[in-house]
Amino acid sequence: MMADIAMEGITKTFGKVVANKNIDLQVKYGEIHALLGENGAGKSTLVNVLSGIYIPDSGSVYIDGKETRLNSPRIAAEVGIGMIHQHFKLVENMNARENILLGNKKGLLLQKEKLNGEIVALSERFGLKINPDQKVYDMTVGEKQKLEIMKVLFRGANILILDEPTAVLTPQETENLFEIIQKMKDEGCAVIFITHKMNEVMMIADRITVLRKGETVKTLTKEETSPQELAELMVGHKVDLSIKRPKTEKGRVLLEVKDLQAVNEEGIKTLRGISFKLATREILGVAGLAGNGQKELCEALAGLYPITGGSIEYLGESLVGKSPREISSLGISMSFVPEDRLGMGLVAAMDMVDNFILKDYYKQKGMFVDRKQAREKARQAIKKLDISTPGINNSIRELSGGNIQKVLLARELNSNPSLLITAYPVRGLDINVSYKIYDLINEEKEKGVAILYVGEDLDVLLELCDRIMVLCHGEVMGILDADKAGKEELGLLMSGEKTDKLGD
Amino acid sequence: MFRLVKRSEISRKKSIVIRLLAILLAFTAAGILLLTLDLNPLEVYASMIKGAFGSAYRVREVVIKTVPLVITSLGIAIAFKMLFWNIGADGQILMGAFAASYVALNYGDLPRFLLLLLMFVAGALGGGLWALIPGFFRAQWRTNETIITLMMNYVALKWITYLQYGPWKDPQAMGFPKIPNFTANAVLPKLFGVHVGWLIMLLLIVIIHVFLNHTKKGYEIAVLGESENTALYAGMNVKNTIVSAIFLSGALCGIAGMIEASAVSNTLSVEVSGGVGYTAIITTWLGALKPLVILLVSLLFAALLQGGSFIQTAHGIPESTALLLQGMILFFVLGSEFFIRYRVILRKE
Amino acid sequence: MKKMLCLFLVVMMVALLGTGCGGQESTPAEQDSTVKVGFVYVGPVGDGGWTDAHNEGKLYMEEQLQVETVIKENVPEGPECEKVINDMIDQGCNIIFATSFGFMDYAEKAANNHPDVKILHCSGYKSSENMNNYFGRMYESRYLSGIVAGMRTEANKIGYVAAYEIPEVIRGLNAFTLGVRSVNPEAVVKVKWTHTWYDPAKEKEAAKALLAEGVDVIAQHQDTTGPQQAAEESGVWSIGYNTDMSESAPTAYMTSPIWHWGPYYVSQVKAVMDGTWKSEAFLGNLKDGTVDLVPLTENAPEGAQEAVEKAKAEILSGENKIFTGPLKDNTGELRVKEGITMTDEELFGTEFMWLVEGVEGKVE
Repeated sequence: MMADIAMEGITKTFGKVVANKNIDLQVKYGEIHALLGENGAGKSTLVNVLSGIYIPDSGSVYIDGKETRLNSPRIAAEVGIGMIHQHFKLVENMNARENILLGNKKGLLLQKEKLNGEIVALSERFGLKINPDQKVYDMTVGEKQKLEIMKVLFRGANILILDEPTAVLTPQETENLFEIIQKMKDEGCAVIFITHKMNEVMMIADRITVLRKGETVKTLTKEETSPQELAELMVGHKVDLSIKRPKTEKGRVLLEVKDLQAVNEEGIKTLRGISFKLATREILGVAGLAGNGQKELCEALAGLYPITGGSIEYLGESLVGKSPREISSLGISMSFVPEDRLGMGLVAAMDMVDNFILKDYYKQKGMFVDRKQAREKARQAIKKLDISTPGINNSIRELSGGNIQKVLLARELNSNPSLLITAYPVRGLDINVSYKIYDLINEEKEKGVAILYVGEDLDVLLELCDRIMVLCHGEVMGILDADKAGKEELGLLMSGEKTDKLGD
Repeated sequence: MFRLVKRSEISRKKSIVIRLLAILLAFTAAGILLLTLDLNPLEVYASMIKGAFGSAYRVREVVIKTVPLVITSLGIAIAFKMLFWNIGADGQILMGAFAASYVALNYGDLPRFLLLLLMFVAGALGGGLWALIPGFFRAQWRTNETIITLMMNYVALKWITYLQYGPWKDPQAMGFPKIPNFTANAVLPKLFGVHVGWLIMLLLIVIIHVFLNHTKKGYEIAVLGESENTALYAGMNVKNTIVSAIFLSGALCGIAGMIEASAVSNTLSVEVSGGVGYTAIITTWLGALKPLVILLVSLLFAALLQGGSFIQTAHGIPESTALLLQGMILFFVLGSEFFIRYRVILRKE
Repeated sequence: MKKMLCLFLVVMMVALLGTGCGGQESTPAEQDSTVKVGFVYVGPVGDGGWTDAHNEGKLYMEEQLQVETVIKENVPEGPECEKVINDMIDQGCNIIFATSFGFMDYAEKAANNHPDVKILHCSGYKSSENMNNYFGRMYESRYLSGIVAGMRTEANKIGYVAAYEIPEVIRGLNAFTLGVRSVNPEAVVKVKWTHTWYDPAKEKEAAKALLAEGVDVIAQHQDTTGPQQAAEESGVWSIGYNTDMSESAPTAYMTSPIWHWGPYYVSQVKAVMDGTWKSEAFLGNLKDGTVDLVPLTENAPEGAQEAVEKAKAEILSGENKIFTGPLKDNTGELRVKEGITMTDEELFGTEFMWLVEGVEGKVE
């Protein structure tokens, strides 16, 4: 008996890279099916095949038992397949209704009232609360996602694919999304849900297919598995899923930030009076939805973002208005691992050696650049951090995301920082690399470094950090002690509820 | 139907095969054109090669054409490396030639070496300062340099035209609008039958190679070209780097202008650049912004020009046909660059 | 790898340059017994003008002498010209006809570098042992064409599209104007300078500008038929130059002063073959047929043919020397006194930069 939606023997290559290798996937209507796998396991490729964006080199897709050639997204839509992408495809200055109508053939002839009626009906059926007249630029991330889902449902999709939908949401929004997904299931839709977060899988999925390195590892039901087993299937060997938090005695206060203010190029306030203290042998986590001032805060501390008010003091020395080189010339060793690794932290087209000299080449004497030392350091880093690269002279671009991050960290840690700022250091990385990076950060903490850790995974923040500062709209909502705080509390702060707590 | 897919990476061997294939195709297509004109393509191609390398004189002519192409390409390469689209090389060549000519016409009696040195410095300054204008605008206000540099070519051209018809017109030329010839001291001497510009060219290739690969400024230019954010992150002075790199870019073009005015024209005229500023954009690009490759590409390009000119007289081919032939070859070679970056996939519905 | 390549290239280049130094003058020597003739043209063959006239001469010469020739079209009046001459010598040419004024300095340089090659330069004034200059008294034909224009005009305004303010052009313009005013003292000639020999569009524009000023005959000193086309389109009259332009402007065209270079080219190449060539300046005229006037078309006014015949006879007999005083320039200053005729030195020298009375325009 064939499943309602069946993919058989799907193979898809990009040049030399085999993204999908003979993959099978079977999904039923009225089922939530999680697709689990590390980066590069082939999840996105597989669902892109299903939604008609990629054409497989070989293999077939059967919908309702009939072989279907999904040669274009339109054909996929016609058979009821709808995909909600990780990056929303919405027109910012149109309202919800207009976005729903876009690309819809019958749209132009529809009456506004009738349309609103349909939208309301769908809203009620799936628990999607949407105001049809609201402009997209006025929406929160969660609302935009709902609109994306609405768009797909409006076109009559009953096979829904969600590509890492929770990555951008608060815990509350995630919960809400799960309710909607549950409703879809109840309405008889097939839901394919891509993620790499085990706890979400355990919470919502009926069945799980694990992919690794482009191949199907196994399909199992939720009841017969555990997060530990899933992680091991994903990675291919035993893993330890707990993060250590070495108990260290908090040292003296190294960095004191008071009432920090900043505006962006459009004159909108991005930092609204941020104050905190950071001590040596401490990891201060920064939580918050993306774009709530984290980037600006990090860059302001590193001397890369102009501030309009407040103070930054490093052991009593003001850093306000100082450039990175001026800060360095004060003898302050500050390392900054920016969020945008290839667009800021590294030069993609250059090799490891040239990337290693990026921040201290200017300290060399004369007009020439000597790369001898950097070559040696690069070789050491490859050994120490287990960086897999064809060689120190290959451009960084050729490396995988995890190895790129290792190169960046290696350079930043090479300078023996006393203050380390890291922004989303494990974003998009595999479990293995992520844990390696947590270890490295903990190592630095034990060495006595003061660390500011901007993260998005609340579980990780709670396990890794000593205190967690929550930002919303450029303001500090509160600073919690990690061992006493819970996800619920963090979630509330992230959505803008203030607390007076400042942690110990 | 078919669609295009960006290639992730391509092996060196494959890219060479594609390029060779393109050249083969170019000659085949051009051959058909020649056949319609009742010419034997093989004979024409053979004489193109003969025309470019067949005698010592022809080789020297190829070298003479190579010199300005290489020096200008080096200048453009520095700007392009920084993603500053300097389309203004032609104008910078003219202004370099203008500044050098000012020295040559006014101080023509100075000792030869001193005079040539002054002209060299003036040429570099002329081209450099001219390029500095769009460079400054870009650094200060992020203006689009493509348009500004292009427009400034016409300004430079009109300025030389004005001089040629007006204040610098040679009173001895019986009213013919030309600028007086330089004195013998202002003409670059020859070495092995070719003006010493070729020596300057080789020297500059080495200098620019070292500059781009082994100096701090060269490193900064490379970083800035990849990402301005990274340059800021690394603490570089972005404006300063833009401005100084652009000055250098223009200065090299200006040097090319000085060499052409001094050694080839022996005077200043609107013909002095001969379109090299535009041709060099192609050679720079095909040369992958690498000085040594630029030398090779420019040499081949000059040979193509010289060979194309030769067949006109040797086979009585009209100029327009010879240009068409050159254009076709160029079209296929440039076209192949596209296929090196993209792959065509035929798809069955 | 790359370093090797670079090294190889440099070595190769130096080697080639080096060998070039040794075996320099080998190529042309083999061609001693025969001649090969190169023609350097400023425009394309088929311009219907100046270059066409030279090419006609070349064809005539080829037919008469059966010699090998090469041509190069569209050669700019700059350093490129010297390269073209050198290229031709490299290919075995030992006679070069450089057919434009702006080629002069480069022809001179090439002549100095190649003493065994004869270089004949048209319309200039420099010469040496192996370089001469040749030209013709085109002003004689232009004077005749002026008669036709002067009889034709009803507005008493004639337009003249001219290339550069150089003696050659000024001489022709003055002679034309004298021809006009010999039959129509009221008429004026308006001149526009284009600063180009070969730019059909620009020259046409200049003619249109003149037409807008109310002229009803267009004459010209360019290498193309651009001005003729403007006249044709506006339904007025025109006088061409260089070749018979009746096809370009069938209802406007009346006649052209033209060149017949063939006989001169034959004589020169033959002299080189016979070993009797000497560097001598040549000035062709109506009498020897180097310059002529195309027979008038039916667009020409009645009686013009007779008037032209009469003037031509006077010129041939020496009765009319055209530039005979009293001649005033167009600011009213007397330039040539009554009874005095300008000498060839004055006519072809550098001082003849003034415009005769009746020309509206100035030398800038």
